[in-house]
Amino acid sequence: MHTAAIDPPGIQWLRVSPKYVTVRLVEWAIGNVIMVGLFSLPLLFVELGWWKWPPLWLAVAVPAALLLIALWRLVLIPRQVRAIGYAERDDDLLIRRGIFFQRTMVVPYGRMQYVDVAVGPVERVLGLCTLKLHTASAGTNAHLPGLPAAEGARLREQLSARGEARLAGL
Amino acid sequence: MTQEQTVVDGDWHRVHPASPFVRGWVALAAIIYFFGRDTFERTLQGRGTIGDNFNERTLWLLAGGGVVLLLALGSFVLSWYFTRYQLAEGYVRVNTGFLFKQQRQARLDRVQAIDIVQPLLARIFGLAELKFEVADAGHSAVRLSYLRLAQAKQLRATILGRAAGIADGSETVEVPEAPEQVVLYVPPGRLVGSLILSEQSLFIVLSAIASVLMSVLTESRAFILYLIPAILGLGTAYWRSFNTGYNFTAAISPDGIRLRYGLLDTRAQTVPPGRIQALKVTQPPLWRILGWYRIHVNVAGYGEHHRSEGEHRTMLLPVGRKPEVMMMLSLVLPDPGTADPERVFTAGLTGLDSGAGFVTTPKRAWILSPLGWRRNGFLSTDTALLLRSGRLWRKLVMVPHQRTQSIALHQGPLARLFGVADLVLHTTPGPVAPRLIQAATEEAVSLFDQQGARARKARKLQSSEQWLAQLPPAAMPVPAPPAMHAIRRASTQEEPDHG
Repeated sequence: MHTAAIDPPGIQWLRVSPKYVTVRLVEWAIGNVIMVGLFSLPLLFVELGWWKWPPLWLAVAVPAALLLIALWRLVLIPRQVRAIGYAERDDDLLIRRGIFFQRTMVVPYGRMQYVDVAVGPVERVLGLCTLKLHTASAGTNAHLPGLPAAEGARLREQLSARGEARLAGL
Repeated sequence: MTQEQTVVDGDWHRVHPASPFVRGWVALAAIIYFFGRDTFERTLQGRGTIGDNFNERTLWLLAGGGVVLLLALGSFVLSWYFTRYQLAEGYVRVNTGFLFKQQRQARLDRVQAIDIVQPLLARIFGLAELKFEVADAGHSAVRLSYLRLAQAKQLRATILGRAAGIADGSETVEVPEAPEQVVLYVPPGRLVGSLILSEQSLFIVLSAIASVLMSVLTESRAFILYLIPAILGLGTAYWRSFNTGYNFTAAISPDGIRLRYGLLDTRAQTVPPGRIQALKVTQPPLWRILGWYRIHVNVAGYGEHHRSEGEHRTMLLPVGRKPEVMMMLSLVLPDPGTADPERVFTAGLTGLDSGAGFVTTPKRAWILSPLGWRRNGFLSTDTALLLRSGRLWRKLVMVPHQRTQSIALHQGPLARLFGVADLVLHTTPGPVAPRLIQAATEEAVSLFDQQGARARKARKLQSSEQWLAQLPPAAMPVPAPPAMHAIRRASTQEEPDHG
């Protein structure tokens, strides 16, 4: 299992569902197909002779570059999903994400104000959900996407119960 | 009509009847000016209130103005009549509105900070607004405007007394206002000096030099004209800083730290002990000449407001010398958790390299911050984490362990190449954003691990009761607070459950 240098030693990461790749693919497709399509319009117009500007090379280069970036991000998606991990410890929850820009976060149970479970349309079809943790800080942007619905419900109950047990003042 | 008697539990009270006028006087003045301008001008020109060419237009204007004025006055009276507040069972409830009723309630033991604000007009009438931040559901503060100043002070004392557990919620006794001791005063001269030497002035000088150079080079005077709006804008910024920083006084009382400031509009803030979530001491480059520093804090609730107001409310010290900084630090963190706080904080404020135990950016990563790598560093005492950074703009951030919300480690590709990582501490919204930059990866990871454990331990022995115990005047340790007090405190420390 992939563990990076900034992860605390001796953590057994739990991974999110591989089906989350599909959610990301749908998001990718919606975002990038529209974008590449839009930026290809000048090429179409130039080809049809409606537009004098931009020159042909520019009209080709812009969508081509966008397409390349989009494809690069597409290739990364499975790895990015595999890089998302979480671990429940005795007193806190660890969440990690990222390959190039890695981020490992620890949220103490006693600091959680509330726990949200959100389900989007694609996630619903696949039986997944997203877990969001809130503390008194806006900086705690802790969300765990791509959890199987049952695991999400279990985590929510577990975290709420542990939070209750370890309540602390602000 | 007004409540001169003390606030008794369970009774509903109204705010001062003049309140809507103090709040809405601009609207009244506008109405009178708009509709009465014609008539005023006539009178002033000595043509008689109703002129020779008296026509229907004037009459309609006056009549319309009268109606609008009556409507405004009526709505003022109604809004006053339907604004009521109650203090009962550990809650403050405020009802407002007659068409759209709104009830807002706040738990007293969740009070994070409490302000008495006096805008100029309210000050003339001896009125004050009471405003308090609650770490409860909802983001907005509860405000009561306006009360008589004495009444506002009395209510503040009652609320703080209840919050601290001095008076039980069921009692109806008047809580005396806690005695206070002034510990710091910023003389106006120093405030002016601090403004002259601030970053704004540096910006003015730099842009003046730039525009003179441009004028000389291009032989055109237009560039000087561009300076005028910039100077006007900065002038208002200077004025605002002066207006709010004037007469800055800090005092301590059992209720917490009291801050009072303001030239035209005055404000008195009370931050109960242990409510400060994070603190930063900064020093702009020019302040180094005179050894000045300033302190900002994060208090839950303060960060939620729009910037111009929040900026000044988060100021714990607008300008002060090192002894004053040390004193404020000792107020915020009564137990520094080290044997030699003087040396540790000095190293944090001005030090370089590993003096006093700070751990800095490893030498291999010097290229990432050629100036700052010897200064970027952290030190964890028993009670707080100190993060220092900035060679030119010196900065020292302090986060008490028990206030840490969550912690994150960040590492980008470049940082990984040099074997460094950033550690971010999450705290309530405010001007302080604690971030340890470019610490060696292994040190950052071990700090990440230990910090979690320290925060956990510190939360278990929250000791804000001992707040006054270690102050310089009262050097003798105060005996432990009575058990009743401790129990009350423990029961008030729970987190809101939004479920």
